[in-house]
Amino acid sequence: MTLLQTKYFGTMSYEDESVFDFPVGLPAFEEEKRFVFIEIAEHAPLVFLQSLSQASLCFLALPVSSVDPDYRLAVSVEDRAVLELPLEREPRPEDGMLALALVSLHDGFSATANLMAPIVVNVRKRRAVQAIRMDRRYSHQHPVRCLGVAPVCEGAC
Amino acid sequence: MLVLRRRAGESLLIGDDIEIEMLELTPQGAKIGIRAPRETIVLRKELKITREQNAQAARGPESGDLGKALPGIFAQQLKNLPSNR
Repeated sequence: MTLLQTKYFGTMSYEDESVFDFPVGLPAFEEEKRFVFIEIAEHAPLVFLQSLSQASLCFLALPVSSVDPDYRLAVSVEDRAVLELPLEREPRPEDGMLALALVSLHDGFSATANLMAPIVVNVRKRRAVQAIRMDRRYSHQHPVRCLGVAPVCEGAC
Repeated sequence: MLVLRRRAGESLLIGDDIEIEMLELTPQGAKIGIRAPRETIVLRKELKITREQNAQAARGPESGDLGKALPGIFAQQLKNLPSNR
């Protein structure tokens, strides 16, 4: 058990097994190679990607399926190799794969999710990569229609 | 935008010192070779977009404002929605 300074939740303790390795970092954050994923019931389905090296760096993310239920992954062979997932086909949930879209806030009152470059995670190996799509099928600023915050969302989504 | 048709093995020049050669064309995509001075930055466009979008995502709400920011965003989204899923 180790203590971690977080951007939003003060000091938290975490287990080594809740740390995810980003072997190649993220574009613009190439040095950030380790994140703890924080899930808080009142903010579900949001996932907070807290950097281990910088308390002030914490991404908000949503499972791609909560942004677009019909989302189809396209992960390059290079990214599959980083994730240590099967090279010959697209990753599937049964591989222990999870895909998250990073959320951006605009002017404090609207949000978009980056479906063009989802964070794809191999939960079993605790490895993650930002898998940039080569096609133009999804937007890097997809409007977030519903964050799923329980009290507001009830009956609406 | 200038549009040119090129076949595999053909090149085009941009300025004096940038050459773009079509190496291979398949229905899956075009393989392109680029000859340019070392100081010229060659970047896949989607990587540049991802860098910029990540920088914006990293800004997020201020550390004390999370509780305020999220319901606000959410209420706004609902208002803008013509119909919910």
